[in-house]
Amino acid sequence: MKLTVNGEEYDVDVTPDMPLLWVLRDELGITGPKYGCGIAQCGSCTVHVDGSAVRSCQLAVGDLAGGAVTTIEGLSAPDALHEVQQAWIDHQVAQCGYCQSGQIMQAAALLDLNPSPTDNDIDAAMSGNLCRCGTYPRIRAAVKAAAVKLQEV
Amino acid sequence: MRFGIFLLAGLIAADDASAAGETIVIDPPAEGSVSVAQGLEAWGRIFEVTSHPRCSNCHTGPSDRPMWSGPSYGRTRVHGMNIQAGESRMGIEHLQCSTCHTTKDTDWDNANAKPHSAPRVAMDWALAPPEAHWFGQSSEQICAQLRDPSLNGDRDMLELAEHLDHDLILHWAWTPGGGREPAPYDLQSHVNDLLEWGTAGMPCPQD
Repeated sequence: MKLTVNGEEYDVDVTPDMPLLWVLRDELGITGPKYGCGIAQCGSCTVHVDGSAVRSCQLAVGDLAGGAVTTIEGLSAPDALHEVQQAWIDHQVAQCGYCQSGQIMQAAALLDLNPSPTDNDIDAAMSGNLCRCGTYPRIRAAVKAAAVKLQEV
Repeated sequence: MRFGIFLLAGLIAADDASAAGETIVIDPPAEGSVSVAQGLEAWGRIFEVTSHPRCSNCHTGPSDRPMWSGPSYGRTRVHGMNIQAGESRMGIEHLQCSTCHTTKDTDWDNANAKPHSAPRVAMDWALAPPEAHWFGQSSEQICAQLRDPSLNGDRDMLELAEHLDHDLILHWAWTPGGGREPAPYDLQSHVNDLLEWGTAGMPCPQD
């Protein structure tokens, strides 16, 4: 089965019902997306499929239908951070860091659709991504900062 | 008969045999064969379905907040995760329904059997339009909405039945899995009740 991840084409020998997250981590060695709950309750496995945020534990690789997958590894150019990633560093968001790949992918998808999100917009878009360390105020601040930076680009 | 429903009368076999959907038959009773009293009885059963959490939880009217009910929740509550479906009714403005309720032809990992997993069907997950307001509404209110073309998507009786056939998200209500209580009766019985109610002239309790 062929699939495109981070701009590269892969040919994997898996059954169509294998969750995309399994394919990414176990077949392709792309371990940015994390396994958290396996039932779309935590958001740590979030990737983009054709630019939209998707919980990769909930999508069978056979249901990709040619959609291009982007993980945290492919969010930005290899030698430059995405503004959301930079904002994460600037605001020292991560504590344990397990959720941050999913958080950043969700935030990037939000800013792609809504360049100037309000606090409510951010809360509404990000509330499906859990952070057991409770870094939510910093997450919101980082998303707002990234929004400003992206509009300057 | 209102809405010219017999222009399309006759047997219409459902042609959507998707793995996630049940094949149903749309076979309305002959014109004049259903009394108003029988129509009201059929409406009573239809109201049991439309007011059931499996249906009404996504027919929340002016609110864009879907609801949750089931053995895990004790009583009906607002969908977790601060979900706001927005004007799109699909969460496009914030967090898309499809982020978790992925669209698929088959329930490949039997996710619908898991109590806390996001159910999935072979069409995009969404809230019903605001005018299709069922959650917390009375039998009279829902009946008036369903028979009013300006509030029911400009559908006549047969088109309402076809809506039940084609919109696979509705089929899920009878096979929700995960310990969730299914909608009453079954899909074919509900379609039959709808056709009986329509043939009787769509009577409502307040008439």
